[in-house]
Amino acid sequence: MIQVVFDPSKVMDIDITKRTEYHAELDAARASRKVLKEVAFTPSLPDKGYTNRTLHVDVGSLAVAEKPVTQQMKDIFIGGRGFGLWYLWQAVTPQTRWNDPENEIVISSGPVGGITQYAGTGKSLVVTLSPQTEIPIDSNVGGYFGPLLKFSGFDALELQGKAERDLILFIDGQKGLIRFEELPDAPVDSHVLGEVLTRLYAENEADLVNISVVSTGAAADHSLIGMLNFSWFDKRRGCVRFKQAGRGGIGTVFRDKRLRALVCRGPQVKGDLNHPADFETLAKIGVKYHKEIRENDPHQCMMRRNGTAHIVEIMDAYDLLPVHNFQYGSHPETHKIDSAYWQSRCAQQTVDGCWYGCSMACAKGADGLVLKTGPYQGHMVTVDGPEYENAAGLGSNCGVFDPDDLLELNFYCDTYGICTITWGTVCAFIMECYQRGILNLERTGGLDLSWGNAKADLEMMHQMARGEGFGRIAGLGVKRMKALFIANGWGDPQLINDIGMENKGLEYSQYLSKESLAQQGGYALTNKGPQHDEAWLIFMDMVNKQLPTFEDKAEALYYFPLFRTWFGLNGFCKLPWNDVVPKGNAQQPEPHKIPEHVQNYVDLFSATTGVKIDKEELINQSARVYNFQRVFNIRMGKGLRQHDAAPYRSLGPVTEEEYLSRQERYDGQLRTELSLDPDAMTLQEKMAAHRQWRTGRFEKLMDVVYARRGWTRDGVPTYARLKELGIDFPEVLEVVRPLLGDPA
Amino acid sequence: MIRVNGDPLDWREGLTVQGILEARNYRFPLIIVTVNGQVIAKPDYGTTRVPEGAEVQVLHLISGG
Amino acid sequence: MRQLRIDLATCDEGRKTCAHECESACAEKVFKLGDPARAALHIRETADGKGVAYLCDQCGDCVVVCPAEALKRNKLGVVMLDKSLCVGCYICIGFCEKEVFERNPEWVTPYKCTSCGICVKACPHAALEIVDVPEPAYRIL
Repeated sequence: MIQVVFDPSKVMDIDITKRTEYHAELDAARASRKVLKEVAFTPSLPDKGYTNRTLHVDVGSLAVAEKPVTQQMKDIFIGGRGFGLWYLWQAVTPQTRWNDPENEIVISSGPVGGITQYAGTGKSLVVTLSPQTEIPIDSNVGGYFGPLLKFSGFDALELQGKAERDLILFIDGQKGLIRFEELPDAPVDSHVLGEVLTRLYAENEADLVNISVVSTGAAADHSLIGMLNFSWFDKRRGCVRFKQAGRGGIGTVFRDKRLRALVCRGPQVKGDLNHPADFETLAKIGVKYHKEIRENDPHQCMMRRNGTAHIVEIMDAYDLLPVHNFQYGSHPETHKIDSAYWQSRCAQQTVDGCWYGCSMACAKGADGLVLKTGPYQGHMVTVDGPEYENAAGLGSNCGVFDPDDLLELNFYCDTYGICTITWGTVCAFIMECYQRGILNLERTGGLDLSWGNAKADLEMMHQMARGEGFGRIAGLGVKRMKALFIANGWGDPQLINDIGMENKGLEYSQYLSKESLAQQGGYALTNKGPQHDEAWLIFMDMVNKQLPTFEDKAEALYYFPLFRTWFGLNGFCKLPWNDVVPKGNAQQPEPHKIPEHVQNYVDLFSATTGVKIDKEELINQSARVYNFQRVFNIRMGKGLRQHDAAPYRSLGPVTEEEYLSRQERYDGQLRTELSLDPDAMTLQEKMAAHRQWRTGRFEKLMDVVYARRGWTRDGVPTYARLKELGIDFPEVLEVVRPLLGDPA
Repeated sequence: MIRVNGDPLDWREGLTVQGILEARNYRFPLIIVTVNGQVIAKPDYGTTRVPEGAEVQVLHLISGG
Repeated sequence: MRQLRIDLATCDEGRKTCAHECESACAEKVFKLGDPARAALHIRETADGKGVAYLCDQCGDCVVVCPAEALKRNKLGVVMLDKSLCVGCYICIGFCEKEVFERNPEWVTPYKCTSCGICVKACPHAALEIVDVPEPAYRIL
């Protein structure tokens, strides 16, 4: 085993406090400030993790209403993503589209969210009808907003309606005020807007940490792939930092509502603001976990040093790093963007958690980047990360291996409000289309989108932010580009569909799934679309060979999506579960589930809420919400087997060069899996045999997984499963009845 | 010959766990290695000799964003 | 910086006749608690009668990891906790290699030794002393 060793002397000497400041922008925003309406409320702190009320805001009429959290909501939906889905279900009808005023953006942390004793406990879950998928999207994001909202008095925030002019919603949990404001001269892009609003709404220096801003940027106005930035104030750097609710275009919905920003000013955070049922247990588990990080992380993933970027070189070594639009799994230049580089480029003398108490601290920051292009050319900025997804998506998948280019792409995605994962896959698709003649200089309006041309990539992004040119088309996302390119007669429809890496309208995240059938399902058989937060099974399946049968794969595709859904019900981050492993884990039964950490989560939930659960009930809690979401998809006219179809690029080699690049592997599979003699076959015959085998086994996987999940062959949860889970509400049954027939 | 995660690997005199990891390019840090069902501690990878015919399991845990 | 030190040989010899006055003094005078287990220093005994001292050496690791900047060195170089800034996350406790950042189940904020010297005065055998030593370099954790 080869592992990067941390050498402090190699960390670049960059002053983490130096960056371009935006005083003039702050003055201009302040001068233009106009209060439209102010409503008082009584701030309150949670009791056993819940404030027991939520806030509904109509940004069109400026009406504000409090709603009680019912016992049924807690029992069935828990919080976070569960609350978001439940409120969204009530807000919309099957006819509602993403840009109708009744569509909502719901933000909720969850009952355990905001505790400070354990790592990864400050997450906000954001739910809306996605402009890309037209079904609910959920996104799990760091930053302080969700916990500060809860400590102000609300378990969730519903945003409905559409404003006439750009609006700022300010929730002051110290004074008990909700204010609608206009700041016509406020900047647009997040890195400036977040900084300006944090300083505008904080009453003094010490108050800066109590402010969190939710915002997006210029590109969200002109694309379907807009993202939301959730801020926190980084005391040591003296600047505002961001985490992103990236997937599915939530930022686009935000701008469609004419929201410019949400600002929450919460109370000074303390260790027991959740008023947990059993603080002592939280404290003990937390201390044990912090100690585990101190002792084990330096020899395991080095999350504190590298963040998630530690797997760049690992994915490359296992032929899993997406290269050139998911054609290949490794590249000779990967070393230029691997963790050894990021370790030296990211500041290491600071605290990088996106919520208090995160000892895993993966939110790295690359300071001192001087921008070479765009409206902020010449500015010195701090860039979040880059995380693995950004290094892989913006980097290797597009053939970009210059780290400064990668950081600049990362920066502009963030400040313009675009999802980096989505942009990576969008741009990789465009570049492959360019390489294959589906696009050319004329069709792109002069952008030479050859592999690795970061300048053209950036220019396309700047165009999108300006709402111009080919950038506007890129902002439609892969699904709509495929339809457009086919409609224009620009290329072979089958090729375009095969290489466009989207499912349900959402772009794939950055792992190569061709050699892991379980992961093909882990991507395509998801509720919201192909994002690895439901299941990441490549090692279990492809490397460990732990899932040899279809039934084994189906079991993994039952358990892990439910286990990981649970993080989003409670305000947790996934990473502290399995990016560090306790001593003695190897001797445990089912070590890949990290049993000690699962027990930590069971205990954290019980100790916060006072509701005793076990690891089986944890899975049931998720299953209720997961199946409810599936029915929600069906209600919106999707959510069936046909919508779980996967692009062939995710299942196998589409092109001759892909096949030839891994010929030994593919030929070998023909022999061992299909009993064919590759030497007696033409390349076309071999590729056709692979295609038939690979698509056939994916279809079979769907059958077995659906059965394990308690769904019909068409992917519809059965009456029995809905009843067993206690979500057989009349309005749920009404959705499935036309598909299932009347109950027996 | 030995088997590593079910697949054959040529055995040679003096083959260690470390040697297997290098032969397979298993670079991931969160792994659990068993040789004939016995868990091998990480500090012992370089010194643990793997016998001919052994069943070796290199269990990769999960990581990443 | 001011650092608490112990001469374990003197302590071992003296402990035959003492009642852990250092711990009692710390618990009573600093924390106003009767329980010596709540002191910020501990002298424990192994089976063979040898003493093991748990003393904060003001190394500053906790300053490095505190997300709230609630831990800072004062003018004397002693690491002090500002309770008004503390968010009760306990990373300081988990990252303290000497296991001397502690918590009292009754309090949300943790506590540590401030090199105040009350224990030095209380020790009947003069086994403890406060010394002035250079601050160690900032350590990346």
